[in-house]
Amino acid sequence: MPKHPSKKARVSDAVSIVAHQLKNPISVLYGYLEVLLSEEIGKLNKKQKEYLTDALKNVEVISKIVKDLLDVSRIEEGKYEIKPRETDLVKICREVINNLSSWAKASNCEIVFKKPAKLPKVYVDSSKIYYVIENLISNAIMYKSSGPAQVVIELKRKGNKVLFSCKDNGIGIPKKDFKKVFSKFYRSEEAVVLNPSGTGLGLYISKAIIQLNGGEIWFERNKDKGMTFYFTLPIA
Amino acid sequence: MVKKRRKPKILMMEDNIFLRKLYRDKLTREGFVFIEATNGIEGINKTLSEKPDLIILDLILPRKNGFDVLDDLRKDSRTKNIPVIVLSNLAQEIDIKEALARGAREYLVKTETRLEDVIKKIKKWLPK
Repeated sequence: MPKHPSKKARVSDAVSIVAHQLKNPISVLYGYLEVLLSEEIGKLNKKQKEYLTDALKNVEVISKIVKDLLDVSRIEEGKYEIKPRETDLVKICREVINNLSSWAKASNCEIVFKKPAKLPKVYVDSSKIYYVIENLISNAIMYKSSGPAQVVIELKRKGNKVLFSCKDNGIGIPKKDFKKVFSKFYRSEEAVVLNPSGTGLGLYISKAIIQLNGGEIWFERNKDKGMTFYFTLPIA
Repeated sequence: MVKKRRKPKILMMEDNIFLRKLYRDKLTREGFVFIEATNGIEGINKTLSEKPDLIILDLILPRKNGFDVLDDLRKDSRTKNIPVIVLSNLAQEIDIKEALARGAREYLVKTETRLEDVIKKIKKWLPK
């Protein structure tokens, strides 16, 4: 008798197909907005530019959701590709911090980066680890408390692993939600208010990435305020 | 008298009408001659009749997919030297390796590549 795919597999297939179908329309929107905003086919007034910039930001949000959904279905199908090579985590952290610095500054959030003078390289898929670090630091900035905030990123050696930590003094995660933090689509009530367009897929994907790269990921609530997320990765 | 330089001719094989329009307008503004095909068979025929200087190729195409188009172009002495830039939604390593192994010079993922970057790649690969 032919084996029928499970309901979970069928849902995952459907999500994957829909996400793929959205890619062409996203590319079209990106392209048209890029041309309009470059003003190569006509000058825009201030309001037109503002609206088109907002439209572009929203297309970027849709694009990220589609990419995350495709990653989730690949993870669930066991088809998520990892290409490990010797990687410098200090370099990745610097790149992420640099890319997020203007947003952090505008959000009144200081990013502090601590690292030892020497740190061994790890053997991981660098682009995927970039995603995890970007996701953790973005969350720390996004879910900050009102007023000035600080995010402390730290790298250190721990035996034959490198330990990454991201400590914030933000809104934190309610204790009752601790078991759901790495679940698909999990979002705390306060997180939904602060960032309505989030999907709750970032930490789910991050956990899968860290595990597939031979590491562990976890978090704890700080004694004073906020959360600290940790992960380890094997030394090359 | 200085001979006027011929405009480079670009053939795009793409089944999405809006993407074709976007590239038709942009490449024409950039000074290229733009030719289009909506499926793989038409793309091969136009390659033979129009002799483009460069091809932009989607992979998921009706009638003949982009991988088979790459094979056909490589097998024919009239078309094997035309540079092909793949512009696809497929972003898996396996597809990228496959297309490059079948002769594509460049592989660009649609949602990750800005229009200006495609223009840069076209200029990079156009025969000098």
